[in-house]
Amino acid sequence: CATVLGSCGADFLERNPQGELSQDQIKSARGVEGMLTGAYGLVNGNVSGTWGNYSSAPSQWLFGEVGADNAHKGSNNGDQPNMNQVELHDVSPTNDNTEIMWNRYYEGIARCNNTLRLLKLVQAGATDKLSDARAKEVEAEARFLRAHYYFFLRRTFSKLPYVDETMAPEDALKVTNEGEVYPKIEADFKFAMDNLPVTMADPGRANKTAAQAYLGKVYLYQKKYDDALPLFTTVIGARPDITTLPFDDNFNVVKENGPESIFAAQHAINPDGSGDNANVGDMLGGFYGTAPVSCCGFFQPTFDLVNSFRVTAAGLPMLDGSYRTNPYLSDFGLTGAAKDNYQVNKSLAFDPRLDYTVGRRGVPYRDWGIMPGDAWIRDPAYAGPFVAVKHMVDASARGTETVAGANYVTSLNVNIIRLADVYLMAAEIYVEKNNLAAALALVNKVRARAANLPGRTVGGTPAAAYNVKPYLAFTSQDMARNAVRFERRLELALEGHRFYDLVRWGIAKQTIESYSGFEGDILSAFENITFDTKDETFPIPQQQIDRSQGALKQTH
Amino acid sequence: GPLSVHASIASGLYFQQVQTVKGKVISEQDKQPVPGAAVQIKGTSKGTVTNENGEFTIQANTGDILMISSIGFTAQEIAVAAGKSYDVTLAFSNTSLDEVVVTGYSAQRVKDLTGAVAVVNVNQMKQQPVASPVESLQGKATGVQIISDGAPGATPQIRIRGFSTINNNDPLFVIDGVPYEGKLSWLDQNDIETMQVLKDASSASIYGARANNGVVIITTRQGVKGPPKINLSSYFGTQVPNKNAFPKMMNPQQYAEYVYEAFRNSGQTPGQEGTTGNNYGTGATPTLPEYLVAGKVTGQKVTAADADPSRYNYSRASETFYQITKANKQGTNWFDEISQTAPIRNVQLGVNGGGDNATYAIGAGYLGQKGTIRHTGYNRYNGRANTRFSAFNNHFRFGENMQYSYEEFVGVGVNPNVSGDYQGEGSALGFAYRIPVIIPVYDIMGNFAGSRGDKLGNAQNPLALLYRAKDNVQKRNFFFGNVFGEVDLVKGLVAKTSFGLRYENYSGISLTYPNLEFSEGSAANGMSENQGFNTEWTWTNTLTYKWEVANVHSLTVLAGTEAFRSRNRFLSAGRNDYFLLGQTDYYYLPAGASNINNTSSGGVGSLFSIFGRADYSFRDRYLVSLTVRRDGSSNFSKNSRYGTFPAGSIAWRLSEEDFLKGNKFITDLKLRAGYGITGNQRIPAFQYIDRYESLIANAFYPFNGKSVTGGVWQKAYKNENVKWEELKSFNIGLDFTLLDGEFDGAIDWYSRKTTDMLYPVPMPAASIGMGGAPFVNIGDMKNTGIELGLGYHYGQRENKPFKLDVNVNISRNVNQVVSLAPSVKEQVYGTFRSLQTTILRPGEPFGSFYGYKWDGVYTSADDLAKSPKYSGARVGGPKYIDVTGDGQITPADRTIIGNPHPDFLYSFGINAKYKSWDLAMFFNGSQGNDLYEATRYFTDFSTFDGTASVRMLDRWSPSNPNSRTHTPNRKASDYELASSGYYVQDGSYFRMKNLQIGYNFKVDNWFKGNMRTLRAYVGASNLFTLTKYTGLDPEVSQTNSTFSALGVDFGVYPVSRQFLIGFSAGF
Repeated sequence: CATVLGSCGADFLERNPQGELSQDQIKSARGVEGMLTGAYGLVNGNVSGTWGNYSSAPSQWLFGEVGADNAHKGSNNGDQPNMNQVELHDVSPTNDNTEIMWNRYYEGIARCNNTLRLLKLVQAGATDKLSDARAKEVEAEARFLRAHYYFFLRRTFSKLPYVDETMAPEDALKVTNEGEVYPKIEADFKFAMDNLPVTMADPGRANKTAAQAYLGKVYLYQKKYDDALPLFTTVIGARPDITTLPFDDNFNVVKENGPESIFAAQHAINPDGSGDNANVGDMLGGFYGTAPVSCCGFFQPTFDLVNSFRVTAAGLPMLDGSYRTNPYLSDFGLTGAAKDNYQVNKSLAFDPRLDYTVGRRGVPYRDWGIMPGDAWIRDPAYAGPFVAVKHMVDASARGTETVAGANYVTSLNVNIIRLADVYLMAAEIYVEKNNLAAALALVNKVRARAANLPGRTVGGTPAAAYNVKPYLAFTSQDMARNAVRFERRLELALEGHRFYDLVRWGIAKQTIESYSGFEGDILSAFENITFDTKDETFPIPQQQIDRSQGALKQTH
Repeated sequence: GPLSVHASIASGLYFQQVQTVKGKVISEQDKQPVPGAAVQIKGTSKGTVTNENGEFTIQANTGDILMISSIGFTAQEIAVAAGKSYDVTLAFSNTSLDEVVVTGYSAQRVKDLTGAVAVVNVNQMKQQPVASPVESLQGKATGVQIISDGAPGATPQIRIRGFSTINNNDPLFVIDGVPYEGKLSWLDQNDIETMQVLKDASSASIYGARANNGVVIITTRQGVKGPPKINLSSYFGTQVPNKNAFPKMMNPQQYAEYVYEAFRNSGQTPGQEGTTGNNYGTGATPTLPEYLVAGKVTGQKVTAADADPSRYNYSRASETFYQITKANKQGTNWFDEISQTAPIRNVQLGVNGGGDNATYAIGAGYLGQKGTIRHTGYNRYNGRANTRFSAFNNHFRFGENMQYSYEEFVGVGVNPNVSGDYQGEGSALGFAYRIPVIIPVYDIMGNFAGSRGDKLGNAQNPLALLYRAKDNVQKRNFFFGNVFGEVDLVKGLVAKTSFGLRYENYSGISLTYPNLEFSEGSAANGMSENQGFNTEWTWTNTLTYKWEVANVHSLTVLAGTEAFRSRNRFLSAGRNDYFLLGQTDYYYLPAGASNINNTSSGGVGSLFSIFGRADYSFRDRYLVSLTVRRDGSSNFSKNSRYGTFPAGSIAWRLSEEDFLKGNKFITDLKLRAGYGITGNQRIPAFQYIDRYESLIANAFYPFNGKSVTGGVWQKAYKNENVKWEELKSFNIGLDFTLLDGEFDGAIDWYSRKTTDMLYPVPMPAASIGMGGAPFVNIGDMKNTGIELGLGYHYGQRENKPFKLDVNVNISRNVNQVVSLAPSVKEQVYGTFRSLQTTILRPGEPFGSFYGYKWDGVYTSADDLAKSPKYSGARVGGPKYIDVTGDGQITPADRTIIGNPHPDFLYSFGINAKYKSWDLAMFFNGSQGNDLYEATRYFTDFSTFDGTASVRMLDRWSPSNPNSRTHTPNRKASDYELASSGYYVQDGSYFRMKNLQIGYNFKVDNWFKGNMRTLRAYVGASNLFTLTKYTGLDPEVSQTNSTFSALGVDFGVYPVSRQFLIGFSAGF
């Protein structure tokens, strides 16, 4: 202050935020690109830090897999008890997993809207603008991401408040969750499809193909088969034949963004070695005990999933459910010497995708060596003897692709849509349109590609009697439907689709309750699961209802 | 009185004659000279003061009346007679009415105060051995609530007249005229000379925008003219944890049976690997194992070969780690294990003195306190130098007050910046509530045992946690002080300038060790360190004009400006993977090989204020005080940057009126009333603008799956209109002194209403994603209260061999959240796992506990069928009251289940003296407040593998049908695990806070008469506590989140008993 008794210079009270930006400082072409990057930042379901972003994982392992018949929460019964409620289909509005899912994806939406608002502001200015072409692309990318975030929320919660860039925060507050958001999602994907090139400079960005595939998926969820099919056909045509693409490249951190990848959450280790932008959503799936990646022991495949990989002598899945007869249990329930001396039974006939999806005792796990069984598992008596494969990285990549000291946080990308998904979605439509031959062709391509997988070997001999053969024919529409759905389970197991597929097929109740009957006989924690119609979606988080001042209505 | 008037007239007529009057003033009690006593000729402005020998010389007329007064003494009048020398003996005063205390930018006599100002008896305060002076303020002033905290060096929670806001409720401290916000552990309470608490707006509003929560004015010890006086004092004490209050857990056998029942109640079969696991065998009833773990084998599966000690390897690497741990079948008392009897010691040395133109008070001290929780502690070294000079015939006065302190906070949980911060399930105390008692402290080789094993939960060994943090030392250098100058411009007009500075830097290290004994342990080792500083300067300029017509008018007018600026910056970095462990000399960042991280942050702020004040008194009878302050804050946008805070108060000293004058019973009686407005601007900065951030963690994206690209996100959303929160307060009070000071006291009634409360109304994610919602001015809060302080003083004035002071304080405050935003019906907060403990709801007190009303348990299938129930309700499970009456239990049945605010606070102190002996006792209590014992989540509910309270032994069963305690269940519905009345208890307590017995030696002949005083004493603190509360300690600090959750106990650091011996000596 310059004077003793008078007023101070006005600038004495004018301070600047520390380490933060004001809107003036980002009102530029670079600012728009930065905001768009920020909008992509939520594709991994995480704002910052590593812990606590499980239900919002792009893999949707919790709602999509634990919530279905493919996986158990794992760890032990007392760990993350609110996840037990997801597995047991008894989720209350105060379950934190719903809140986490909701607010991460709405943050993604807010970032898209903020990007679109800033874009408009910058483009309306005189200088420091984007080229018109790039401005269009930015708009299309932001709208693609917004549609993606809304779609993930739509299938989880069903009834959503729809907020776009025209609404200021105080207006957004008042939006109800009564309308249907699918038309808006479609509009955004259409805009992206119409304004994005087939190839973008960065593989992680949305492009035309991704928009086509995603729009098709949104149509499929609404059973708009005629709208969806041409899109899937275009996507399939735009990519190499799937039989030429190795199955396990989809889950190999050094082969990411290959030709099968259509839209994937991009993950990387930060330059300082931290993991905020890595695959934090799946980190609890790091194994327990003496495993080279030691964490928490969540996300364990079910007996039901493992046995569904059993094949008939003809190399086909046991569509009639007979895979549950005399099930394979690994070393579960053995004691004493029988347990200690357990050897894997190499004569069992399995689809080779099993050992690229599930880790089981006596079989090599990735390049880590033989999976030792319980030594990698927190509480096998609670959630079984199996571990998952697709979310993990090779030991050889651990040095560079994981967070040091926390190697359960990896840089592995997570597929949101990959080509096999599109093949099988197209096959579904052909079945519904009763074009069984076309469906058969697509399913058999997926199976033919599976047949290319080298089986795991122990001591030079295959760990199982691996066998996967094409279907000779689809004998009826029902059989075809069953086969396509079964194939979808096998091919995309543990990738976050299962629960949402069961719900849109309308078979969630019967599938999950029947599964509980089988699985609960082996693992008592999963007996007597009941599934109500309302369990097809999750309740709107109570806290969001409380904060919405009456705009949001509970769906449960 | 009339007689002296008469004498004066008479003398004027007959004997008027100017002469030189000489005299000496001595103290009645110790017969020592009284320097600095005022000698004034009554009815004139002529006067002088006594010199250091207590002597005075004055020109007076025969028959004049001399008034001789000095602070702490009863004033005396003598009539001047011809040719006499006077020996005046002043008696100690029973009243503090003439004491001059510092209030807002000025000093006033206590009897002239018009606002609600509590003058703290600093001497009583100092009897308590504490690190922070705030703690010993407990019970010393009405309307001030202190919640102590047992952690060494911790900051107690202080609330003046309740909670004025849902935001920060900490008061403003003003130390030697310099405002300060923050914790006060750096200030040695022995350096405090006076402490005043400005409670109402009429007294506090001169501090405007920072005064909403009350102002605590502290002046530090100043020099007194005279030869150097040296004071040395010291005490040594021991602190004993209150083991009787430790929570009692089931023994391992009881716990095993409890777990068996939990599985049975959930329809599962215990005694299997999938349920109760390896520890308790496979039978229908549990048997305890010999071993918990040997390598990878657990529980009863451990064979002799597994447990062969030669296989033992307590290695740093998980691959080779092989631990062998025996079960502790008796059970480990973890609270015993982590607590200890701990020493506290203090020494201080001070000297003060000075001459006519310079005085000084300098001193230094040390306080060392070990925690009663092991491996925690606090050390403080402090020095102070206060000097005063005068020049130009005393027309120019200047000086400085400076304090430097160095503090060390050792171990975990001793350096919370805000009271209660260290509480939580991850603290050592939190783990003591969670770790199974079957786990021993150490394994067979004496290394730490832990929860690695089968179904031993995921608590850490709390002693291991404490031990491994023993080298985590946070160090703080703190400088606080000011320089000032004061000049008499013309008669009555004084200009003053003061420049105050706070400079603080701090640094600390934090180590992590491999903790492979822990079920979620890791082989990682690491060290992180942090450094930072806070700088604040305050430049205050005032002009004061005093105008007086003796005994008729007295007017003081003050105008001033104040500028304040703050800046802080913080830097931290860490790495993992050090070659050596536990070697503090080795721990530097480059020696770490992985997990390289570093960060920094900072803040700035400024305030500019102008203020004025006028105090007028007419014939000491009618008093008026007016203040106004206009504050500008960098926290607000240009449009709403300034706020104006006026206040006024009046007082009427009835005792000066003719109808009471001379009344033997009433010595002084004053009625006060005041009204004023204060403000609050203490919110995070820059709420008025949208703020964006480009951080790797928050907004970057790896477009190629390999390396990240920079991005931006909006981290905070603006409210351009955010402005001052205001508090309007009305106070009416009565001060009285009776029977010449034998009784005194004050009654105050107040009403305080906060409007435009700054409230970060949480917005739904659909509106702002996960960005920060801005503070908005919305909502009202109300506090009304009554305060009563009473004192009885016996024997002081007459200097009887037996002297007694009794002080009683009672205060009641009723808090109510009047309204929130029109759109916000209520807000539930205090989230802890599945609990949400607290609610903000209009019409209810701030921090009300929220949840289901406990109605015992469902006692039969019939009861279950007939009663309202929730999804997953079961026989033996918690039964709640159907508040909505809709026949079922849903979240809508959650309701208010407790009030954390006390009905009233009370305290009383007794100080007695008999000849050379003195005795002090101090008690305080809180009545009618509820506490939320959140630790019951772990000890009384069976979700976790862990431990269980002995309370659960009395659980309901068909053979214990009257129990209202639920049974365990491993598949509990989340309704069972929700917040409920089961957690809420009466938290009232009555505590003997302090007891001290001292002896004053007669030292006249010691050290050749060079020793002035010597007092030795023994004392005890927290000797006993009466409470029904079942947690560790009924003093539960708030926990901090967006809003504070009051009285929620996650495991507080309990206060301990202290036993002391000490002395103070003067030379």
